[in-house]
This record gives sequence, C-alpha cells and structure tokens, in this order.
Amino acid sequence: MSWSNVLLIFRREGMDQLRDRRTLFMVVVFPILLYPIIGAGVLQFAAALQEKPRRVVVVGAERLPKEPALLAPEGEGFNPSLFDSPAEAARLTVERRADAGEWANPAFREEAVRDGDASAVMVIPADLPEQFAARADVAIPIHYRSVDETSKITYLRLREALDRWKAGIVEERRKGDKLPEGYARPIEVRGLDAATTQEIGGSVWGRIFPFLLVLMSLTGAFYPAVDLCAGEKERGTMETLLISPAGRAEIVVGKFLAVLAASVTTAVLNLVSMGVTGLQLARRATAMGGGDPAREAAAALAPPTLQSALWMVVLLIPLAAFFSAICLAVAAMARSMKEGQYYMTPLYLVCLPLIFLTMAPGIELNAFYSLVPVTGVALLLRALIVGDYLTAFRFFVPVLLPTVVYAWLALRWAVDQFSDENVLFRESERFSLVPWIRGVIRDRGPRPTSAQAVLGFALIITASWLFAQVLLTTGLGGIGVVAAGQGVILLVPLVMAFLLTTDPAGTLRLRGAAGRYFAIGAAAAVAVKPLSAEFERLVQWAYPISDATRSVFESLLKGDTPLPLAILVFALVPAVCEEVAFRGFILSGLQSGRRTRSAIVLSALLFGLLHVFLSLFQQFFNAAILGVLIGLLAVRSRSLWPGVVFHAVNNGLAVATGAWIGLLQRAGIAGWVYRDAEDGLYHVPWVVAGAVVVAALVLHLWKFDRRDVGEAG
Amino acid sequence: MILVEHLGKSFHDARRGWVEAVRDVSFECRPGEIFGLLGPNGAGKTTTLRTLSTVLKPTEGRAVVAGYDVVEHPEEVRRRIGFMSAGTGIYDRMTAWELVEYFGRLYGIPKDALRDRMEAVFAWLRMDDFRDVLGSKMSTGMKQKVSIARTVVHDPPVLIFDEPTSGLDILVQRTVLDKILELRDMGKTVVFSTHSMSEVERLCSRVAVIYRGRLQAQGPIDELLAAHGQPNVEELFFALVEKADAEYEAAGAGAGAAS
Repeated sequence: MSWSNVLLIFRREGMDQLRDRRTLFMVVVFPILLYPIIGAGVLQFAAALQEKPRRVVVVGAERLPKEPALLAPEGEGFNPSLFDSPAEAARLTVERRADAGEWANPAFREEAVRDGDASAVMVIPADLPEQFAARADVAIPIHYRSVDETSKITYLRLREALDRWKAGIVEERRKGDKLPEGYARPIEVRGLDAATTQEIGGSVWGRIFPFLLVLMSLTGAFYPAVDLCAGEKERGTMETLLISPAGRAEIVVGKFLAVLAASVTTAVLNLVSMGVTGLQLARRATAMGGGDPAREAAAALAPPTLQSALWMVVLLIPLAAFFSAICLAVAAMARSMKEGQYYMTPLYLVCLPLIFLTMAPGIELNAFYSLVPVTGVALLLRALIVGDYLTAFRFFVPVLLPTVVYAWLALRWAVDQFSDENVLFRESERFSLVPWIRGVIRDRGPRPTSAQAVLGFALIITASWLFAQVLLTTGLGGIGVVAAGQGVILLVPLVMAFLLTTDPAGTLRLRGAAGRYFAIGAAAAVAVKPLSAEFERLVQWAYPISDATRSVFESLLKGDTPLPLAILVFALVPAVCEEVAFRGFILSGLQSGRRTRSAIVLSALLFGLLHVFLSLFQQFFNAAILGVLIGLLAVRSRSLWPGVVFHAVNNGLAVATGAWIGLLQRAGIAGWVYRDAEDGLYHVPWVVAGAVVVAALVLHLWKFDRRDVGEAG
Repeated sequence: MILVEHLGKSFHDARRGWVEAVRDVSFECRPGEIFGLLGPNGAGKTTTLRTLSTVLKPTEGRAVVAGYDVVEHPEEVRRRIGFMSAGTGIYDRMTAWELVEYFGRLYGIPKDALRDRMEAVFAWLRMDDFRDVLGSKMSTGMKQKVSIARTVVHDPPVLIFDEPTSGLDILVQRTVLDKILELRDMGKTVVFSTHSMSEVERLCSRVAVIYRGRLQAQGPIDELLAAHGQPNVEELFFALVEKADAEYEAAGAGAGAAS
C-alpha cells in the first residue's frame, strides 16, 4: 500500500468535506449551536416554571388552630416555616373558602380540581377543634388529580407541609405533657454523602455524556461516509477514482481516514460545546437560586476534569474508527445519497441498545461488557467521567484492544466491499420475492456464497434460540432434548446445502479422506488437551463463571447419565452436527472469493460465537482456537470426517475427564500426569509436549500439505 | 498495445440469472491508430472498455493493455492508460487545476514535472481561463475539457474514450474529436467507442461493429464496406444489425445482451 496515495486521497476527501456545506453544518456548526440553544431553552423553561404559584383552596380555614399555624397569619399563603425555604412556600397560594354553599359539596370541590380552578382542595373538617382538644385524630381530605402533573406535585407539597405541621402538633402535645424531647421523635436520620462535588457532577454527566458521545461519533461518521461513497457514485466520480493507479485498499483507507477525522471532530466538538454550556448553566443556577437545590444543580453540572476529557478522546478514536469503517462498508452498497440514508436506521437500531446500557442503573463495566462492541467503550467512558479511575485503568486495555480489532475487521470488510464490482456497479433492478428466490435456486453454483454462509449461521442461531424458547414454555428437558438441539444445528446446513447448491455432498465435504488425516485429527485432539486445559483456566480467571451457571452445567454432565450415553450425546452428536454446519456449509461458503486463511479464521470466529449464543460466553476462546485447527484439517483433507474425529475426541475427553482421572487415581498414577487432578491441569512437561506436537501438526498441514503437494503424493 | 482475446463478461441478474453482456470479443489496436468500437446503446461497448480499464474483471478470455494483463497486473495497466467515459465525472467541489493536479499526483508524477506538464496540457486544451473554477460551476464543455486533461495528464501510451461526445453540443464535439486526432498523431494507441457513424468515418482507421454483446465485423472501413457491399458506414451498420437479429431469431432464445 502506498501511503503517499492514502495521504493524497485523505487530504482530497477531507477538503471535499470541508467544502460541503451540509457536512460542515452537521459536523461543526450543529454541535456548536445545539447545546447553547438547549441550555438557553432550559433556563427559560426553569424561569417560566418558577414564576407560577399553584392555587390551593382551603375550605373551612377558620377552624384551624392558632398554634401551630398551618397558614400564614396574613396574606394568601402557608406558614413559611413548614417549607424548606420561603421561596418554596411562595409556590403555593391559599384561597380561603367557608365550608358553606357550593364549596360544601364534595362534587363541586372535585369539579374545581378537574377544571383546573384549583390545583388541590383541602377540607378542614368541622370537628377539627373538638378532636384536637380531645387529642383524637382527624382526617383532612385533599382533592387532587393524579394524572395532572401540577395537581399531583401540589398534593405532594401539601403532604410534606402537613407532615411538618403534624410534627409541630405532636411537639405541642409533648410539651404540654412534659415528656422528654425524644418522645415523639425517637430517631433522626442524618445522611452523610461521601461523594465529592466532582463525583456528583460525574454521575449526571456519566449517564448523558457517553450516550451522546457515542451517538455523535456515529452520526459524524455516517454523513461523510454516505457522501464519500454513495455521493461519489451519484455524482459519477467513483469510476474516475477507480481507474486511477490508486489501489482499492488505498482508496478505502484514504476515505476511511477522512470519515474518521469527521467523526472524531464531531464528537470532540460536541464534548466541548456540551461542557461549556453545562458550566454556564451551573453558574446561572448558582447565581439565580442561592438555595440548596441551586447549589446541587451547579454541582451536578460541573464538567469532568481535563484529565478524564483527554482519556475520553483517546478512547473515542478507536470507537470512531469502528463506526467509520462500518459506515463506509455500508455506504459502499448504496447507489445514491438517498439510498445511503435508508441504511442509517438499521445502523442506529443496532447501536442504540448497545449504548442504552450506560443509562441503565446497576450496569458496571466487566470483562464481558469490555468485549461487546460499542458498549465496552461507552461504559469505560462513563467510568472515566464519573472519576472511577480504578475501573477505568483496569479495563482500558481490555476495552481498547477488542475495539481496535473490530475496527480493523470492519475496515477489511470495507475494502472487500470496494473490491467487489457487484457492489460498486450495482444497477437498480426490480425486486420481487418469488422470482428472486426462484432465481437463487435456479442459478445456484456448486458451493454456497459467503452471504449464504453467514445467513446459515444466523439461521442456526435463531432456530436454536427458538427451539430453546419452546422447551422453556413446554418444560421439557433432559438429555434427549440436548441431542434434539444439536439436530437443529444439523438441519439448517443440510437444507441450505440441498436447496442452494448443485453439489451438496461436496459443499458439506462428505467424501472420505486418507487415513493419515484421521490419525492427525485424533492425535491433535489428544495433544491439544493439556494446552486447552491451561487456556480454559486462564479464561476462567479473567472471566469467572458464576456459581449458578456452573452448577447448571455440571448437573447436565454429571447426574446419573451413564458414561457411554454422555459420550454419545455430548461428544459424538455435536461432533457430527457442528462439523456439518461449520466446517461443511459455512466454511465452504466463506471460501468462495476469499483466501483460505481468512475463510478458516472467519468460520472459527463464527464457531466461537455459536458457543457465546448457545452455551457459555467463556467457551468462545477455546472454540475459536479449536475451530481454526479443525478448519485447517477440513480444508487440507477436503473431508469433514477427520474434523469429526477431532471434535468427538476433544469433547469425549472433556466428558470422560472425571471417570478417567478417577481411574488414574485408583491406579495411583494420576500424580504423574496431573499437577492438579481436581481441575484437570497437567504437569508442565505434558503441556509443552502437547504444544510441540500441535505446532508440528499445524505446520505440517499448513506448509507441507498444500493441495499441490498433497495431489503429487 | 491493446490485445483482446475471446473476452467475455457475464453478470448475475436476480430475474434473468447469468446474462452475457459481452461474448467472445477479440481485437487488437496499435500505436498511432484510432480503433473504433461502433454499436448502439447496450451493445456491450462500455462493458468491454471497463474491462480494459480493469474496473471489471472478465469472466472469459483475456486482455493485455500496454504489455500487462488486466487481471494479473491491474495497477500497472491503470498507470499506463487514460480512460474517459460517461461514468468518469469530475468532482464538484474541486477546481479544474486541483482536480488535474490530484490525479497527476496519484499517477506519481513529481511536483515540478507535474506543474510543467499541467501548464502544457492546460495550454493545449485552452483551459487557462477556468483554472480556478469549481466543477459545480463549469459548463458541460469545460467539464469535458477537464476530463480530457485528467485523462492525458500522465502522458499515457494508451487512451480509451467511451462515447466522449455524447450529450455535447457541436462546438465541443468538434474540439473533443480534434484533440483525439491530435493524440493519435502523437503516436498514442486510441480506442474510441461511439454510436455515431460520422465520427467513425472521420476518426477511425479500423472499426469493429458490436451488437448484442458480440463483434459482428471488424477491419479497415473501406475493406469492410467492400466485403459487405455497402456504400457507407451507416448502411454497413444496419446490414450487420439486421443479420445479427436474424441469426438471433433463428437461434431461438439464447443469450441476450446488456451492458
């Protein structure tokens, strides 16, 4: 790749974006204007809200006692000492009405609330003075309307004031009876908040900031990406660029960098504009109110520190890179700007739930979330803003690394898209479902396409999930159901292979293989065991399995299942079903139009994902690595069966571990093999020996067993 | 300089399945001559030329341009050709000078050499009065000149023009054709596609008639006229088209053509 070409393309695309008014507006002007406008709006709203006091009609006010006073002796208001501040008291005005005429009628009082003449109507009963003198209790009815927000708030304020008034009455009575001071109030709660102003500010920003930052970096990437791909096609300049000596990868990377720059700029400008507005709002709040709530608001809006802002920007770059690459790949499909915009909705629909997690209470960054695209970054951003540096530093690399990997994969996809003439020169054709399906079946080739392979994977996941849901509702369980679940995994690739290819047997690699491949498969499965045991322990250390999950899985394996049956259900059946799906249909599909190496790795990643969806997330790593091994075996032997042997031996060893170790222990030689028989950990020399054997086998398959060599021999 | 052998290109269409846009096309083009590709819209001209420009990969046969195979060394081919078609527009938000400079740089021309070259090209095409005009503000004629400047900025030995005059007024048409003739006189290998008979008669030493994705006839114009007993290119063209249609009907269905 020529970096001078990349730089040249990047500079041109960047300049192009700067000269485009729409993009410039979305990326630069919009964020700068948006927040001050929102801020000013909020202030105006707050002012408007403050000025309007709510009207409370008190019927029979003359019956109230002088001490303690509920209403202010003069004017139209409550006793200010019953509220947090005089300003609070001023928010309610009192209208005194005699308990006579229409106001004596409950229906009329209710109507007054319903019509909005009064926010609430409080009735002082006629017997109140008597009951007070007798020290009995009195009911004070308050009419309000819960569906009317102002009426409801008025009611809650009234209740609070009445509570304080009640405390005053009790206090009077206590004094009258000469009881000790703590008599009526045995305890008093004093909450001592350990959070600093910075942290209080962080927790408010911590919810909003990551959400907006992630959303803005997506928006900032999307518009330029559509303009640089679909827009170029629409304006007829795409082909001009394609016939220049610049390679496809150079073009994509150049465009990608331009989109990335736009995305990061948008996000950072949003950050700055939002921060400045927040600061300004906080100042105004302090200046205006002066009371406690105002100070609280000021604290809540204090912006994050410069240090955490810096880290946020660092974190934002790989996220923006991920979005930029995805947007480019998606936008490459569009023929016009208009079509490009259509792709935005699904993109947002996928991203929003991933970001919403940061707004949900109780969701903390952990090893699992750190691997989820977008969510990991959003949660880490939150930790940085809140000032939780311990979490932030612990997860900085675990979040950064997968994000970089996702961005790289997305970029590869974008390059693939740009190398595909069907994507670049797609012409509009009328789409109708039935002829399309007919066409797909009529024009099928000997192997499935990549898209069909990925569709197959998605169908396996959805079908298995639906199957599990049906089981949940019917309450079926047990070992037969596990086998039936595997049947679902088998069924999808079988049907697809027969429907979509002319050579289903070849697609599923159902032919036989030379004996040595079976030997390699079995040997590799045995040799890799000590290594995968170590690896499994490492994964469980990094991502502990909860006890509840563990017990469910152990009950499946242990219980009273006889060993041969367990081996059949957990080793042989999955070996056949999963191999047909992953090394058969999916790998064959991924191999079309792709390097064998990439196809094997992709199929292995999908194989790992299957375990995330259907089993334990922790199995992803081992499954993906074993997937590479089996994939290589399947490609080289051109048969499914050596992989089935590998898979069956691997699973069989896992199922039989307990019995096997018990056997060794009884023979007294378990100590020779295992350094920790309980966890199935082997002595280091065994691990090293296994690793050497596996490495040798992989090298043999990869280097010396290529098709040409294989056919010669 | 350009060698096309049994070139074929099929596209997959959801409704019709695999469609052969070009089938078994062979021709050759040498330096200092203009080879004309004559055919109606949708005959397969653009697909053939796009294959030569390496943006489409042939599904059959092969093509060698300036000594390099279009499939094996696409980047070397692109370095040595100038390609201009209805699909190669110019950027709206770039001035004439910026655009030509950008592509010159992509061809790897050093800065100083590029400036000298561009001065020469701008003078040759009389483009100096709209050097700093943005693409979006240019007239069609200006745009076409910028496209030509872009096509020749790296002084390529092979030039491919796909209907360069369609949609232009007579004055601009004439300029474009004059420039193409001048390029031939500089010793360039030129392939030129059109559906205009008069352009073919004026420019081309040799011509191929393409229809329904296949070459119906090719050779020097006078030889073709003599061989088919036709008075001029237009009559020759219609005679060939009628013959092809008749053969197509006779063959029943078979492959259609699209580009």
